[in-house]
Amino acid sequence: MSKGFASNYRMVLLATGIFLCFGGIGVRLVWLHVLERDELLKYLEQARRSFIVENARRGNISAARGEILATSRTLMDVGLDPHMLRREDEARWPDLARLLGIKLDEIQAAARRAPETSEDDGPDAKPVQWVKLAEGVDEAVYQGDPARHILGVKDLKIRGVYGNRVYRRFYPQNSLAAHVIGYVNLQEVPAAGVEHYMDFFLRGRDGWRESERDGRRQELAQFRTREVPAVDGYNVVLSLDAYVQHLVENEMQKIADEYSPAKATIIVSDARTGFILGLANYPTFNLNEYNKAPIGALRNFAVADVFEPGSTFKIVAASGALNERLVTPNSAFDCGLTEIDYHNRHLHLPREAHEEAFHNLTVAEIISHSSNRGAAQLAMLLGDQRFYDYVRAFGFGQKTGFPFGGEVDGLLAPPKEWDGLTITRMPMGQSVAATPMQIHCAMGAIANGGILMQPQLFREVRDEHDALVFAFKDQPRRRVISEHTAQTMARLLMGVASSEGTAPDAAIPHFEVAGKTGTSQKVIDGKYSTSHHVASFVGFFPASRPRVVISVIVDDADARSPRGIAYGTKVAAPSFRHIAEQLIQYLDIKPVDPLPGYGGFAMQTAAADQGPRR
Amino acid sequence: MDIGTGVKLSHPLDFLRVFQTTTRERYDWINPLAIAALATIGLFFIYSAQLANNRGQWLMQVVWLVVGAVIYCAVSLIDYKFWLKYAHWVYAICLVSLLLPWTPFGVTRLGARRWIDFGPVSFQPSEAAKFGALIITAAILTRSRLTTVRESLQTLGILALAAGLPILLILFQPDLGSALVIPPMVFALLYVSNLSQRFFAAALGAFVLLIGLVAVDSYRYLNFLEANSLSPSTDKGAYEAHSVLPLHDYQRNRILAFIAPDRIDPMGISWNLNQSLISVGSGGLTGKGWTQGTQAKLRYLPEAHTDFIFSVLAEEKGFLGSISVLGLFGVVLWNGIRIAGLARDRLGTLLALGGTVLIAVHVFVNIAMTIGLVPITGIPLPFISYGGSFVLSCCVLQGLVQSVYRFRKEF
Repeated sequence: MSKGFASNYRMVLLATGIFLCFGGIGVRLVWLHVLERDELLKYLEQARRSFIVENARRGNISAARGEILATSRTLMDVGLDPHMLRREDEARWPDLARLLGIKLDEIQAAARRAPETSEDDGPDAKPVQWVKLAEGVDEAVYQGDPARHILGVKDLKIRGVYGNRVYRRFYPQNSLAAHVIGYVNLQEVPAAGVEHYMDFFLRGRDGWRESERDGRRQELAQFRTREVPAVDGYNVVLSLDAYVQHLVENEMQKIADEYSPAKATIIVSDARTGFILGLANYPTFNLNEYNKAPIGALRNFAVADVFEPGSTFKIVAASGALNERLVTPNSAFDCGLTEIDYHNRHLHLPREAHEEAFHNLTVAEIISHSSNRGAAQLAMLLGDQRFYDYVRAFGFGQKTGFPFGGEVDGLLAPPKEWDGLTITRMPMGQSVAATPMQIHCAMGAIANGGILMQPQLFREVRDEHDALVFAFKDQPRRRVISEHTAQTMARLLMGVASSEGTAPDAAIPHFEVAGKTGTSQKVIDGKYSTSHHVASFVGFFPASRPRVVISVIVDDADARSPRGIAYGTKVAAPSFRHIAEQLIQYLDIKPVDPLPGYGGFAMQTAAADQGPRR
Repeated sequence: MDIGTGVKLSHPLDFLRVFQTTTRERYDWINPLAIAALATIGLFFIYSAQLANNRGQWLMQVVWLVVGAVIYCAVSLIDYKFWLKYAHWVYAICLVSLLLPWTPFGVTRLGARRWIDFGPVSFQPSEAAKFGALIITAAILTRSRLTTVRESLQTLGILALAAGLPILLILFQPDLGSALVIPPMVFALLYVSNLSQRFFAAALGAFVLLIGLVAVDSYRYLNFLEANSLSPSTDKGAYEAHSVLPLHDYQRNRILAFIAPDRIDPMGISWNLNQSLISVGSGGLTGKGWTQGTQAKLRYLPEAHTDFIFSVLAEEKGFLGSISVLGLFGVVLWNGIRIAGLARDRLGTLLALGGTVLIAVHVFVNIAMTIGLVPITGIPLPFISYGGSFVLSCCVLQGLVQSVYRFRKEF
């Protein structure tokens, strides 16, 4: 069929051209449908699947009466999605910058990041979907306050600008009880203290959901395959009392100002239960700026460091000898002796701390005057093994059970490793090393009628609705001495804080302060130093029905002490009294009629009176 | 008034006589059946694609298809020679309708003046312009001789003016896609009209030059963006003042998304293409099943019920589905070219061929863009995509083909 006006040849060619184009489409369809299918399917899954984590809120740490010591603040990280921005919103960018406290340039720079990829341009590079503008924006700034007509970031209604909720740990009291609370580090890992130890309760459980997202990156709730809601963390209530902690820390600051010691610790606990009411270390740090603190300041000196306790340790030998009924408070010893025969050995007794020589001292006087020779003779009466058993029973050489802070055992050698002089030196607190907490607990055992308690810091765990989950009970460890011996020791320790004793500064009339001073020489380069001491005063009150145990231990306060020696009586005892005086008011501790003087009670039996005299 | 072959209008109802029966009645059944099949398939997948936002577009499409069927019958009942006689009137009406978007009747959507508002329905005059351009081109070529160079140049000049005017008006809307459909039709008609091969060589040269210009321009655009650290998605329009080519930056973005998808953000501009490719590829051999596709429902696939309807179909019916649809289009086009060849006069050949080529260009560009063979232009898929004006214009074009089949001469 030939037509003059249009060639068949050209028609066929045109048709061929059209069908070639269709053939190309067909080939491409085979390519996509069959050959590239798996790769495209993989991409599809990846783009759509989403795993969304819903952060649990970390619980609060609060003091015994509810003061919040650590809490999680709800904050917003505000950013923008460069792809979703609209030109017409740009007029509101200056408002956004003002609200977020950033420069307009930063928003403009973030908006331009659209074509970039978030990581390096590897095969897994993902496009930027959210550029952070400001971190930790207050929720009020984000949400605004419609009641007071305050516009928030949300109210600007800029498409593509939105915030993600985050929780930030915050410590409202800054440095208060820093060593107890510990901190959560910037990687959200609880690194120390209660935060670390109670993390199981505090952290809660993050929720998550496996879901899919649509093309506008919004979650598709109907495609949620699995969903686990977040469970907020429990709140931990400490036995620590915020007021007590405050006054302890104020006192610590005074010590620091006055003596600038190397370190110091003050512990206040309930005499009957062992619950810690206050615990402060020097140096300390601000919890909110833990990362700026020198590493030494993070150390919980109260349990992590040991020192030779010195004279406070004399309570062990005296308690032991009294408890074994080897002596009565009135049993007298010749403390003028310089050497003594012990188990067929000829031993030199230690020198007394004070130059005036003691002669005959009763057990009561050995304690109140802090006689080194007297203490040694009391221990000798007990013998190596029995004395060692009492040292162990009082909790030395083993952990007290304080839950965190890197507690150490202290150093206590068994009798078979002792050298000849140990029995004369250990009773006065040498050749043994203890943590402040161990000494505190040992004194606590006397205050608590002879029962050694575990130091406890936690009162309760409560859930997010403030319902009780778990309450902590006091934890007795063992009976160390009889109640009778404990009462006797309490009376004898009252003698320390008297005009005849070593610590008249610690006395508070009508409140029966019982305690023991300690001034131990620090071992420097293997020798006892005469210019570096640890000054301590460990005690409790009122002696007849003890309420609180207080330990004040100050390491190396010599430089600014009178006559260059930091005596426990000068450095530590006054702080003890300051704290005790304030606790009397705060805890409403009633005065007691003066007990008959320690010298006046002849309550020991004749059997005890027949104890050996030297 | 003389309308067509020997019909005189004397009675008020005489205008109805334009719908004529021929002496020996005959119908082409291949195209109507294939089109009905395509339209039905289209309906099903419009339904599937709009499930996500459920605006009942498939019902509207039923209405449009019914109206389109009526118009198809009407056009096929008119002797195609009618259009030769009134070609200039048809053309004039099309030009006027192209101006209407700039009057208060016009509606601006997504920054383009493409619609005329008629209350409940709106109409795209660019669809009518395709028909008008076809009629005027066929009319001019029917009446012209192309034997000498002088005659050829003269005809080409007239054609350039006649076809160029609607193209320009469409470009001003702006609607690059619709404007680009017309030139291939004009070239196809010129080609079968035995225009000298040299003109086509020259046109090819011009086309290559244009491609080169666009390529250089796109390259400069990318460098410009990088030098000024601008974003192609948020800083649209910044480059337009620096370029000699009258392209918009969103058009440059689409071209770049096609040739350099790694330089342009995949989540932004090439997002559409990537999602479309994923849709097609994830269909596999037999597809996920009707309404089981996820790309459109989860809003990954943009414009799913209009420009990207083929991706929905390919995802849900797989290779077998997409190749079947392609086959149906092949039948329509092959039959259209066959009918053009059956015609014994130049006008019949040109009208049937022009109508077929217009459909072919739509089909090719639409499917090719969804599978990444050409840059993305907003061209719908005939009889399958949702859209009133477009359904009607396709029905008119196919009605024309039927008319050529029915009223062709037998000698």
